[in-house]
Amino acid sequence: MASNRRLFLTGAALGVSAATLGTEQRSVFGDAPATGPPRRFVFIRKSNGVRPKELSLPTFTEPQRKADHDKDAFRIDMSQHELPAWMRALEPHKSHLSILQGLSCKMSENGHWSYSSVMGAFKSGRNSLSGIKRATIDFELARLSPSPFGHVELSLTGNYSTFRTGIVPGYSAPGPHQRNYCYADPQTAFDELFKSVAHPDAVASDNAMLKFLQQEEAYKASVLGGYEKLKISNHVASIESIQARNLEVEKMAGSIAQHMPEIDAVHLQGGHNATTPEKQHAMTNILVAALVTGLTNVVTYTIDELSTPIKGLPGNEGDHISLHELGHNGGYSGVPADDIRQKVRVGHMDQVAAIVERLKAVPEGRGTMFDNTVILYFPENGEGHHSHGTEAPFVILAGEHCRLNIAGQYIRLPYHATKGHKTIGNWYTTLLNAYGNPTPHYGDFDLEMSRKKLEQSGAISELLT
Amino acid sequence: MTYCIHPTCSWHSAIPFSRFTVAVILVFAFGTCPQLHAAESTDTLTLPAEIELLLKSNCSECHNEDVAEGNVDLSSLENIEVSERLEVLNKAQEQLHFGLMPPPESADLGPQQRSKVLDWLGSVLKQHGASRLEDKLRKPEYGNYLLHDDLFSGRNEDLKAFTYDRRWLISEYIFEARFNEILNHKPYKNIDGKRQYVIGDNNRRVNLTNPFLLPSRSGVRYYSNEVLNGGHLLTMLTNAKEAADHILYLSGRDRRYVPAIYEIMDMQWSHARTLADREKFLNQFIETILVTIYKEKHTDLLPKFERLNIRTVDSTKIKKSPFHAAQPGASELVVLYHAMVRHSMNAASDSEWIEKCERDWFNHGDSARTIQTRLTFLAGYLDEFRAQVERHRYARKHKLPVYRPRSDQEQKQIEAAIVVHRKPGDRYIEIIEKCLEGWRVEFEAERLATGPPEQKTVDALVRQLFQLLYQRDPSEDELTRYGGLTQQYLDKLGNLAGIKKLIQTLILKTDFVYRNEYGTGKQDLQGRRMLSPRDGSYAIAYALTDSSPDDELAEAAATGRLNTRADYQREVERMLAKRDQYYVIDEAVQRLQLTASITNTPIRKLRFFREFFGYPQLLLIFKDNKRFGGNYDNAKGRLVGEADRLIDHILQADRDVFHELLTTTNFYVYHSGDNDAMMASSQRIRDIYEHFKDLDWSNFTDEDIAKHEAFIQKVQLRGMGRNPKDDLRTFKTIMTSFTSRFDKGQSAAAPFDSFPAHGKSNADTRTGLQLRSPEVAKFFNIKLDDWNYPAVQPSTVQHRMGILTHPAWLIAHAQNTETDPVKRGRWVQEKLLAGTVPEIPITVDAVIPEDHHRTLRQRLEAKTSDAYCWKCHQKMNPLGLPFEIYDDFGRYRLHESLEHPDNLIKKGPDKAAPHVDLRDTYKTLPVDAAGILNGTGDAALDGEVTNALELIDKLSRAERVRQSFIRHAFRYFLGRNEMLSDSRTLIDADQAYLDSGGSFDAVIISLLTSDSFLYRKEKAD
Repeated sequence: MASNRRLFLTGAALGVSAATLGTEQRSVFGDAPATGPPRRFVFIRKSNGVRPKELSLPTFTEPQRKADHDKDAFRIDMSQHELPAWMRALEPHKSHLSILQGLSCKMSENGHWSYSSVMGAFKSGRNSLSGIKRATIDFELARLSPSPFGHVELSLTGNYSTFRTGIVPGYSAPGPHQRNYCYADPQTAFDELFKSVAHPDAVASDNAMLKFLQQEEAYKASVLGGYEKLKISNHVASIESIQARNLEVEKMAGSIAQHMPEIDAVHLQGGHNATTPEKQHAMTNILVAALVTGLTNVVTYTIDELSTPIKGLPGNEGDHISLHELGHNGGYSGVPADDIRQKVRVGHMDQVAAIVERLKAVPEGRGTMFDNTVILYFPENGEGHHSHGTEAPFVILAGEHCRLNIAGQYIRLPYHATKGHKTIGNWYTTLLNAYGNPTPHYGDFDLEMSRKKLEQSGAISELLT
Repeated sequence: MTYCIHPTCSWHSAIPFSRFTVAVILVFAFGTCPQLHAAESTDTLTLPAEIELLLKSNCSECHNEDVAEGNVDLSSLENIEVSERLEVLNKAQEQLHFGLMPPPESADLGPQQRSKVLDWLGSVLKQHGASRLEDKLRKPEYGNYLLHDDLFSGRNEDLKAFTYDRRWLISEYIFEARFNEILNHKPYKNIDGKRQYVIGDNNRRVNLTNPFLLPSRSGVRYYSNEVLNGGHLLTMLTNAKEAADHILYLSGRDRRYVPAIYEIMDMQWSHARTLADREKFLNQFIETILVTIYKEKHTDLLPKFERLNIRTVDSTKIKKSPFHAAQPGASELVVLYHAMVRHSMNAASDSEWIEKCERDWFNHGDSARTIQTRLTFLAGYLDEFRAQVERHRYARKHKLPVYRPRSDQEQKQIEAAIVVHRKPGDRYIEIIEKCLEGWRVEFEAERLATGPPEQKTVDALVRQLFQLLYQRDPSEDELTRYGGLTQQYLDKLGNLAGIKKLIQTLILKTDFVYRNEYGTGKQDLQGRRMLSPRDGSYAIAYALTDSSPDDELAEAAATGRLNTRADYQREVERMLAKRDQYYVIDEAVQRLQLTASITNTPIRKLRFFREFFGYPQLLLIFKDNKRFGGNYDNAKGRLVGEADRLIDHILQADRDVFHELLTTTNFYVYHSGDNDAMMASSQRIRDIYEHFKDLDWSNFTDEDIAKHEAFIQKVQLRGMGRNPKDDLRTFKTIMTSFTSRFDKGQSAAAPFDSFPAHGKSNADTRTGLQLRSPEVAKFFNIKLDDWNYPAVQPSTVQHRMGILTHPAWLIAHAQNTETDPVKRGRWVQEKLLAGTVPEIPITVDAVIPEDHHRTLRQRLEAKTSDAYCWKCHQKMNPLGLPFEIYDDFGRYRLHESLEHPDNLIKKGPDKAAPHVDLRDTYKTLPVDAAGILNGTGDAALDGEVTNALELIDKLSRAERVRQSFIRHAFRYFLGRNEMLSDSRTLIDADQAYLDSGGSFDAVIISLLTSDSFLYRKEKAD
């Protein structure tokens, strides 16, 4: 809890939504960048939970295995350990890998879906817009690391039978009661993000429209005064801000052209014939390119959601798999649900590893782009298919300049509603504090911790460098 | 040091902090400082002698060079930088205006002197355009700063009322309604057995995000102060694209929608239809056509068929996913069905016809993946598929298409194209694609030859889009500008993209998101003009609904019948009497309670009381199920829904509305609003109970149950019959639950089944959906297994009196884990007594210290009893503490539970049936709910009270309280705070309420026909 309102406001001010730009004329896309390479964050949301035992290391000693099973806190260096089989793709990156167990997310929505809430540490009343209580953590971090797009959201979701396509409502939130838009298929993401190079005519027509609007509204404002003038001139300033962003992106055309990914024809018109791994692969390419070109420093990627159709999975190529059904232990083509769940996760890890490798291949400063990147892979709803939120495991990959003391470690924090327990609110506070937002606490409190009068505010100090 | 919350404001960060600088704190807490960045200058200031004297004698003792309390030094005003001076003057103006300075213990400033100083401060600040006070006074939280007596005493009733000309940003509700109108989204619901059009159900096919959400607060939320900002624009950019796409889609489906779009796009869409039609025809019948053209040579031209290798799997050892979780989608199932019908008739085995299907799909050119998916599905789910085909009557719904050649000319054209494009080894899809591409090129050339649209068509397009989006014609000047812009778009982007861009442009203009309220016509002596008929029609429509003017109102405005007060009265009365239009009250409630949240009361009338009382804020309060003793999240939606129903019930009667709202002892508790349905549902439980009660049901066997099968089916016992092996257990669970509702001699049982689940077997709601969450009764201290369920409601509930004792209000004005007497008291002070409470200084640590040996009241009193805190808390605590007879779930109590692990007496169960209380038991202390009512202006009412019930009784009799309702209604319907010149309007509305026997309709009519509503004045800046 903030020690007083003044301190709280000081912290909150840094988290004021860019979307509430107005009288104070903040940029729509964030404040001026700090010096040095930008800090990058990639949030990868998965559905169906991650069972904590799936992250247990197979080479645990017996006491470690027992502690892990009993949910007792401990922390070990993973260098002498093997990763679980499904995480093998990350083996070469183990020194940059962290497995964080023991966080809880009961203050967000649990059960099948969490919608926006798991990244905002609030209850959203299912998926209601009015239930979005604050800017989600990715947007808060994006504000600390501004870029032309500010924040990019990608998702592979669907209606069990087909994939969603186009621009759809996302899960991230720029501010209270606001829902982000998100690119739902690789081709749309490609067209929108790399428009300045891929579709310069479309950009020109957007710019022409903005210019017309700016002139029209500026004229209108010029004949008004006082508060009524502000109602129009604010809009003019917002248009100008977007024009400036477009100009900035145009200037980046060279870099964009150099790093722009190629999109396979199977993804045209929504890519209805593309398999799930193909879509994931294409999204990874786009995600990496969005970071490498500098269009954004923060990406949130819903790699799957319960209603995402799973098609073309190795070993189950002909099956039309429902992730929801896997949660109810239904198998396909003779393959048990647990095996398919594992294959789904293996596919995820392949993509995470690809992101790491691609970023490690791009020089930046004296190192690589990965040095300034933090990738967080986590279940949107906690510890299982019908989760209660008592556990919310995170797999984290972070480069050399990471400001957290987590590299190469398996960390299990005290279990939910026991002394010393940490919630996703504490975890997000840790990220914010480490990267420049001194907020005393981000997110709502856990009600069971409150009932038991257990301390639960602030960052997880042992994870800070 | 303290900080300005504006991160870019370096000026503020330099101000040293002092705990006495209340004004400074206020500045920062409210955080608007645009004017403070005025250009630096050393303009001189000349203090008029009289003002200098007043400052010296009343202020300088504390605010001089040496003392400078609150960092305010009035002795050097003439010598400091302009920006610094303006800041000091702003502080002084606010302190003086709000009566915070001079302090009571110092020499007092007479009203005339105070007025002189205020006038002078105002003139200097106005000269620099730097008065912050004006900005503050238009905010809702400053509404009560205009003295109540100044408004209702009559001394200002001769002032002529008006509202300034203004743009008013649309609300979240208007945004939805506008797009629903534009995009022809007209949802219907079955209500009371009739199909009814419902406004406010926003589940459109188009992805739009609403950027105009109103603030979350208890009190009037929609004010005309809001300013369009960057967040709005970013969201609207994507909204505009999505909406433009859908407008074009609708234009293509209905030529009357925007005729000019259809005219411009006619040829292109006609070509597209021809192409789609040919593509569909070829996809269905190309093989027949090819055989007709090529006869016996056709087979030789086919590609070489290679079968896919599909594994045979053994699914018996695992749990196999059910059909619905493995089927490849509805359209694919139809493809499979047609293939099965076509080939299975003469096949000797399944594998034979499946192979034929595979060959067909291969020849057609379906992707190997798709074929593999189909074959895998058929291999694993053929039996289930056949059952599905039977169950869903595929034979009737999805008949096999029958080949009929097209007209001679069309058929020839198609066949000619095939002959041109078919190559040996081509799959059908390749032939089709080549044909389509050829026709595309031909069509495009044809369109190019016709040239661009004529100017008159472009003008018509602009006019029609203005009508669709702005509901008005463009002016001549606009027609010229937008006509030119349209031509540019069409030239550069082509017709489709050009029109789309024009639609986006119009949606992104401020005209789309601001409502205009301007006076027109002749100015009267006070400089006022009456609202233009068009603006007036929108002002009325948006005062009562979220929609544009209905046909009658629009007609009145267009035909000169909205020019007088009587015209306004006629229309307002007509609209208030309407009951044939249904509205969704709250989509969030609808989602949570899983039943409709509807009314046919004009929605803004009901919404006023939702906002005024603020109980929907409950939805943002999250609580621990354990402390509730049941499933709180499931019950909270129903609780809000039933508070809505109670208010609607009182509004429908429209008698003594304010008094009824504050004092009714009748409530809805687990009720659908349909008394007949609830009686029938409750009777069902009794019938079941009566049927079995005298039998030895607890020792029934499967055979015993079988004897009652007909009865069980008739009364639809939930959960029975699905899995016969579980029936016995299910039956006993049901009977245990039903028996518990009668075995204490209860007169009737609450109608809920013992297994809450999907489907419908509890009481019906008015929309036919299931009534859920009986645990809502727990908020009212009602035990589900000891309740004489009243099927006719609203009905009496003990220890309750009006909305302020409704658990929804009590929770909304509490914290997640405890009550909040300060919040509750503040609500009473501001909403019922029209009083003011200064904002909490940001240096105050507002947390009440934990102490599990004392009640919250004791802890609060210890925290706020010192003089510094009490100055403000005396206005809240005595009004909020009487509500301590209710806990933070709104449950009545005599003892406060000291919830702390150290005080635990007995642990409750973690999981049990709905009627079981899951709460842990802690040590308690008696509740002291004594308080003091002060501020009614009536000595007979002011004084000590023992608890909330007495407090509410007294409040309900106070003239001040009635008038406070009126003031808030004024703000709600006018979208602004009162001014002195609104005195007559408020007095009239109050009198209308009294004369009508407490009709809220009378209040609305009075307000919407007042000068404040009708007249506009240009604001001189």
